[in-house]
Amino acid sequence: MSYKRSRTTYEADLSAQQSPFVLFGTALPPLDPEVRDDGSFVPVWKQEVRDERGRKRLHGAFTGGWSAGYFNTVGSKEGWTPSAFVSSRTNRRKDAPDAAQQRPEDFMDEEDLAAAEEARKIQTTAAFTGLGSTEDDVSRMTGLVGLFRVEGEMMGAKLLKKMGWKEGQGVGPKIRRKARLGLQQQQQNSSSADTFLFAPENVPMVSFIRKKDHRGLGYGGEAGLGPLAGSSAVGRRKDKEKSRGGIGIGVLNDTGSDDEDPYEIGPRISYNRVIGGDRKKKKAVTAINPSLKTKPVFISKKLASGKVALGVRKCNDGRLPLDGFVFGREADSLTSDINSVGKYPPPQIPPGWVSSKKAASQPGSKEYLSTADAAKASKLDPKARAALLGEKELPGKSVFDFMSASARERLAAVTGKTDLPPARGEIPAGFALSEEERQRELLDRVPKLDRETAIAALSRGAGGGAPYGEDEAKRSRYRAYLEYQAGYRQVLPPKPAHISTEDWLREAHEFFNCARIFKPMTGFMASRFTTSSSSTVNSTSGAKGESGNKELLSKPPPKPEDPAEEAAKLGLFGPLTRSVADFHPTMLLCKRFNVKPPPNAQPADQDASSGKGKAPFDVPVELSAAMSKDPLLALEFGSGLTTAAPVDAAQTATARDDGGSSSKSEAVKPVIDSSKNEALEGARAGEEVFKAIFGDSDDDDDD
Amino acid sequence: MTMLDSYGNRAMSAASASASASAAVKRRGDAASFPQKPVAQLLGSNGPIHAVTYSASPGTYILTGSADRSIPGRLIQTYTSHSYDVLSLAISADNARFASSGGDRAVFLWDVATAATTRRFAGHAGRVNAVAFAGAGDALVVSAGLDTTVRVWDTRSGGGSSAKPVQTLAEARDAVTSLAVTSDEIVAGSVDGRVRSYDVRTGKVTTDVMPASVTSLCLGRDGRTVLVGSLDSRVRLMDRGGGGCLRTNEGNQGRVWAWDLLSGRLVAKVAVPWGPATGNDGRRKMVIGRDGKEKERKNVISCLAWKEGGFGNQFCVGGTSGVVTVFGEG
Repeated sequence: MSYKRSRTTYEADLSAQQSPFVLFGTALPPLDPEVRDDGSFVPVWKQEVRDERGRKRLHGAFTGGWSAGYFNTVGSKEGWTPSAFVSSRTNRRKDAPDAAQQRPEDFMDEEDLAAAEEARKIQTTAAFTGLGSTEDDVSRMTGLVGLFRVEGEMMGAKLLKKMGWKEGQGVGPKIRRKARLGLQQQQQNSSSADTFLFAPENVPMVSFIRKKDHRGLGYGGEAGLGPLAGSSAVGRRKDKEKSRGGIGIGVLNDTGSDDEDPYEIGPRISYNRVIGGDRKKKKAVTAINPSLKTKPVFISKKLASGKVALGVRKCNDGRLPLDGFVFGREADSLTSDINSVGKYPPPQIPPGWVSSKKAASQPGSKEYLSTADAAKASKLDPKARAALLGEKELPGKSVFDFMSASARERLAAVTGKTDLPPARGEIPAGFALSEEERQRELLDRVPKLDRETAIAALSRGAGGGAPYGEDEAKRSRYRAYLEYQAGYRQVLPPKPAHISTEDWLREAHEFFNCARIFKPMTGFMASRFTTSSSSTVNSTSGAKGESGNKELLSKPPPKPEDPAEEAAKLGLFGPLTRSVADFHPTMLLCKRFNVKPPPNAQPADQDASSGKGKAPFDVPVELSAAMSKDPLLALEFGSGLTTAAPVDAAQTATARDDGGSSSKSEAVKPVIDSSKNEALEGARAGEEVFKAIFGDSDDDDDD
Repeated sequence: MTMLDSYGNRAMSAASASASASAAVKRRGDAASFPQKPVAQLLGSNGPIHAVTYSASPGTYILTGSADRSIPGRLIQTYTSHSYDVLSLAISADNARFASSGGDRAVFLWDVATAATTRRFAGHAGRVNAVAFAGAGDALVVSAGLDTTVRVWDTRSGGGSSAKPVQTLAEARDAVTSLAVTSDEIVAGSVDGRVRSYDVRTGKVTTDVMPASVTSLCLGRDGRTVLVGSLDSRVRLMDRGGGGCLRTNEGNQGRVWAWDLLSGRLVAKVAVPWGPATGNDGRRKMVIGRDGKEKERKNVISCLAWKEGGFGNQFCVGGTSGVVTVFGEG
């Protein structure tokens, strides 16, 4: 019955036995019981970490963790020694002579130092070490080429893409041709000849084939050999068209991507036919970053560089080199020999050699003149050219023939040309006006004045204050104009021959502006304004006529000034500057001034406010006094107030004017029936009255 | 013995506007009797003086209204109630009350002895330019203001904010600047260039047109003539009966002018000194002149009063210096 010894017993035995199996040489010393190197299992809690010198460098978490520096102190045996504080403001520590410059090595232990030492060693990376390896050749080459060539998309390609070019298609205007759908030839023939616009086909880059062999030009002997049948078979297989799927989309077609809506209705050109097969390349997906036009796609550097590098050069047959192959970079000996400078210089032209070929004719050493220059240099006008060419003169006339002299001058002033043809002022035969037509047209241009204004102006003029008093002829013309506009006269007096049409019309406008002042005010305005005194108006209108001789534009007549103010300005004080009007002193004012109230004195409660209470019997008297001034008021209250004893308003007023209180008491007192309020209970006014007053109000329907 | 009217004129230099104050002077045979000598300078006011008046008949006291919003009675009493400049003053005949008006649109009636307002008349919509007593026993106060109205207030009824004027004369079309009152007439001069005489006895208003805005008025002693100062720098003696202009005097700038109204002769030109320094540093306030340079402020004389309504032997003037200068024969 065997029993399992405990590990400690076993180990104790092992060490005690002093290597019992050593037969030759010196046996190793017995194992240190604290060191286990027998590869036996040691639990984690028993493991110890020691450095290569056997130092215990790993402490427990509560005893300091990883040790660092000089025996778990930093820098020195003492550990950190606090140095006296030195203000860096006054005494820069680094300027001190004995400032210890600390290096990174001061803070490194041996391992860090070893690592740093390790990092100092320089060695080539694998790509350089393996001589003869062509694996990194492509990228290595582009490393140099990239110095001179833009990597990635070139600017030209970018521009082309912006203009709508896509990779794989040719550059140039679109071509109208039939669609090549890859269908069978016979189908294509039978289908309708619809043509569409397509981008031009990509033209393979012209690559000059270096002639390296010694065969003749155009030799293609070996190219002709090949398996004819096999190639056709390959082509046919390639041409085989995928049969189209049905309409709609099934679950099987779902590629599982979220951004494809399976229920999206629309024609699908192609469907996946294999579950889990390669997904079609997605259509242009807008990038998250809107500044990027297309979604950035990862292209490995090797691939990209190879692509660029290979895009530059193609093989002699216009194809890209096979994968893994690169172009050789050896210079061709033949061409380089030819191109090398000075090897085959061009032949020297012997001195004194003259070409036997001569220019056929050199008519003159005149400098070259273009046709346009010659035409510019020509002094001929169209008519002269026509005469030179022997053309018959055209029956048409120049514009200037119909232009008036003034219009031609204006044109000359604007263009700055002095050599314009003379203006003839002709009138085409079809447009020539007869005399009465011209007269009528002239009359149409005379400004129209409405009849009332003309009559008013005429009547004003009849009063003696008519304008143009000093110019009898003009005045008569003015009168004639007014009479014509008022309708008293059928025709205007004919235009005098010596006056130009413009002047005559200008005068008519002046008459119009002059007479327009007298436009009678209508309705509403007339009730609010009164005409000012005639002398002022006449004087101003006369002045207006004077100034009107000079200026074409008429200004509105100045506001008539108060004659009294004018008189005051002239110093004519007296009756001219004095005016007397009534005012109505209140009774209280007269009383306070201790004067007898004038007849037009207003009762005390009209304007203001004497604080005195009024005797009740005063009311009718005051009321009647008010009525005497206001007939409307009297009319309204006449019936209701006094039926028995109508009060004579004037009589009351005069009675009151007598002054004393006795006369007031003598005034006839109206009889007032206190049991009846006429104002409230009297006959209601007619419905029409209310309608007339409140008729247009909205709520009359509610009544 | 002849009674002659003689008038003093003052002008505001800044606006080149002249206004007039009147006095009736006993002529003593020659022009030398015109008091030209400054006998006293009354201090106590902190700002320019807008109004000055003598007390009634004895003429012992001088009342000034100034821009410091009070009515100092120099050494005697200061009446403070206005919240703006005091623009006009009037003393009643019995010397017991006086009326003042100011830029605060108020007309105050004061009791002289207690220095308290007995009535406050509020109703003007603008600053009140002139105030005068009127009526029998000075029962009315007439005030004229920037709101183009002349208002007549009753001193016997209660004043206050609710008090209405006895009458409002609103004929003027521009601010009323000056007032003169006789026993039965109210004469108001206005910026619209008119002098309106309201005759209470007949109920007629007589309007006389002046060539320029009227700035001041002064009635002759007999009430038949009125002296009108206007913005064209002229003082006109107008005949109130017929409206004619009896005489025109042209004044100017910064002095007191006195004319003999019968002969039209210039009796005297009295320059008014600035007076003792009022400020702390003893210097006048400097102003920017029209040419842009700083210059000493002129003493613009804005008010003048004769003792005893023109029959006294002294007059006083007040202006921007804030000093009332009394001229007398002594």
